[in-house]
Amino acid sequence: MMRIRPLSCAALVSAALAAGPVTGEQIRLGADVDAGTLDPRVMRDTTAYRVNNLLYDGLVQLDASLQPKPDLAESWTNPEPTVWIFTLREGVTFHDGSELDADDVVFTFETILDPDLKARFRSLFTPIETIEAVDARTVKITLKEPYAPLLSYLDMGIVPRDYVEGGGDLSSNPVGTGPLKLANWERGTKIVLEPFADHWSGAPEIGGFEFVVVGDNTARAQAFEAGDLDIIQSPLSPQDIGRLADDDRFSNAIMGGLGITYLNINVSDPLLGDAGLRKALSMLVDQDTIVNQIYEGVDQVASSILLPSSWAYEPSITQPGFDPEGAMAAFAAAGWTDSNGDGILDKENANLSIVLSTHSEDPNRIQALEYIQAIMLQNGVDASISISDWPAFSAGVRGGEHQIALLGWLNIVDPDRLMYAQFHSSGTLNWGGYANAEVDALLETGRASIDVGDRTEAYRAAARIIADELPYFVIAYQGYQVFHTDAVSFEPDARGMMRTAIGK
Amino acid sequence: MAAYVLRRLTLFVPMLIGIVAVTFGIMQLLPGDPAAVLLGEDASDEAVREMRRALGLDRPWWIRLAAYYADLFRGEMGDSYFQNQPVVNAIAQRLVPTLEVAFVALLVSIILGVALGIAAAVRRGSLVDAACMLFAQLGVSMPVFWFGILLMYLFAIRFDLLPSIGRGPPLLFAAGQALAGRPAALGESLMHIAMPALTLGLTNAAVISRLVRSSMLETLGQDFVRTANAKGLRPARVVFVHALRNALLPVVSVIGLRFGALLGGAVLTESIFGWPGLGQLAVSAISQRDIPLVQGIVLTFALAFAIVNLVVDLLYAVIDPRIRLE
Repeated sequence: MMRIRPLSCAALVSAALAAGPVTGEQIRLGADVDAGTLDPRVMRDTTAYRVNNLLYDGLVQLDASLQPKPDLAESWTNPEPTVWIFTLREGVTFHDGSELDADDVVFTFETILDPDLKARFRSLFTPIETIEAVDARTVKITLKEPYAPLLSYLDMGIVPRDYVEGGGDLSSNPVGTGPLKLANWERGTKIVLEPFADHWSGAPEIGGFEFVVVGDNTARAQAFEAGDLDIIQSPLSPQDIGRLADDDRFSNAIMGGLGITYLNINVSDPLLGDAGLRKALSMLVDQDTIVNQIYEGVDQVASSILLPSSWAYEPSITQPGFDPEGAMAAFAAAGWTDSNGDGILDKENANLSIVLSTHSEDPNRIQALEYIQAIMLQNGVDASISISDWPAFSAGVRGGEHQIALLGWLNIVDPDRLMYAQFHSSGTLNWGGYANAEVDALLETGRASIDVGDRTEAYRAAARIIADELPYFVIAYQGYQVFHTDAVSFEPDARGMMRTAIGK
Repeated sequence: MAAYVLRRLTLFVPMLIGIVAVTFGIMQLLPGDPAAVLLGEDASDEAVREMRRALGLDRPWWIRLAAYYADLFRGEMGDSYFQNQPVVNAIAQRLVPTLEVAFVALLVSIILGVALGIAAAVRRGSLVDAACMLFAQLGVSMPVFWFGILLMYLFAIRFDLLPSIGRGPPLLFAAGQALAGRPAALGESLMHIAMPALTLGLTNAAVISRLVRSSMLETLGQDFVRTANAKGLRPARVVFVHALRNALLPVVSVIGLRFGALLGGAVLTESIFGWPGLGQLAVSAISQRDIPLVQGIVLTFALAFAIVNLVVDLLYAVIDPRIRLE
């Protein structure tokens, strides 16, 4: 004992000083769902996203500030706006011992673009015209038109062509080049990863990494408190966050996330097609109470469609704030007054009736919607509520059948991801059919220009118009929370990625 | 007896056909498109259409229903939309953990329920009776969800006695090891199953204890008990041999029916304790509109329920020789 103690003290001190893993530890992370598949090309859930980030390497990795950093691609050039050339690292091997070359990269993206693979992220890569292997270490991507967000999406894991074409099943037996490889997957219980000794940057110095599935948020927080988990992260209940944050056994990071919670106001609805009415209704949304009381301050009051973590963020772009008196004036300006004295606003003998909808899985969203409803009722709007489970609710919104829907977007690593498909008149996620030629032009500029200054300007101008015309009213910027014990240390990343926890 | 079992088993066929039709109908009526859920919120309408075609959802409902029956006839249940594996495999991996926790819960609830029921009946009107019935009242009214979280707080966090989540070694395997003189695995297995089984069994224990109490009271008032007492038999013998055997009859039939409630309760219990069973799978399958998987799970539950009730009916004849199965 006596001889060991100074050594372990030194180990503790060095672990505390250097961000990185404690050598030889098994790290256990609580996950809310099991992964559906460990094939990165077709992954759909956050657990798969986070596991695959450890099993596979991409051409690039996004760092904690979401800037692309070399990974399998050691460098790249952009000789003309529609051509990208990537040089691959030498001596990279897959978990099955085969060597990575340009063919594997081409295969990965060609199969993603093939509709038959049913890849969820396919639409992110459709601007790619061709992808070819110039030689074993060089990949050339030619785009149909300039596409600035491309690099942010190239953290997609590269899969081994020979293994897949030889009948290998990546979805349950993943083979990547990543720093960890799959040791064991007990479906529904845990995914166990172990260090990959031949990783190009050397094996990570941990014993292993487990994703342990506990579906219930509070149960997961308790398992963490009981010492059966080392890391837990969003989604967490606001109520648990407060308690864990006060517990000095644990470290935490509570930071801005990459998601928004918003009201989708359907502009194709006969009533809500009127921008004046949309504005008046927005003034009845008490963001401060929703964010700070219902969500207990783990999110942040939003001012526009641009995230504070984004390079395009501009605080001076603001939506209408909570102002019931101003709302009355705005209703009157749009022609809505209580002409018959029944306490409900009307226009041309029709009452102002609005249906607010959301999904049943998130009790905080339901509470927020009920609160909005209460304020609307107090101010002469006959608001009713419709709640159904996610598949039913999203089918309605997707079909443009909603009036005002409360929902969210996640993983906004680039403004293009939250705006082009949602607000461009030909956008695939423009469920309310919003159309504004000026916004179209700005979003095209934002997508095509590779100059960050030009892109920033375009997105800010578009955000200003959206904050004024209000096809979306953004309620909150979602927060990201992670709690961990002293057994691990890492640089928190709003996407919940764990690379720094294994020192990679 | 054999003829009786065979006849009961043949009755399973129309039952399964009916259950498939009802489950299929409900999944059709439920709004929400599996293809859209599968592709996620950022999928285009075109991609969703393509996916519907790939999943075969563009075919009319009667063709899909007929195809499902044809699959069942061949002993298949189709492929899960989300799990990239056949439904049969997905269910097979999860069935044993669920049966494990359900049976331990059943055992716990029978032991607890019968013991409390007898104590309450024998000491009718006393403090023991009041305490037992207070427990029963609490057990019936306490939500599984809340009780599970409470147990976890007490035994995993406060006193740090039991693991908070997960499953130990499979119980049957561990029991085998213990018989072979290696009890460590069984200990670990039981430590893991304790809280989920208690959570799941609590409501059941409460229901059974009330039933045993009233049934016992009725039996204790009957002539043959008076006769037994008059003969000078020891009170314990009167209660446990003469009265209990008769009082248990209605309890046994209720235990069979309660097994359905146990399977239902498994849905919540499993997601609290990270127990890798069918209940947890059912929740995710429904919320993903994974139609083949939902149908498979409902069928499995229905089959398990039907088999348990068949076993209960057979047990009935064993406990009460007056009953003849025809």
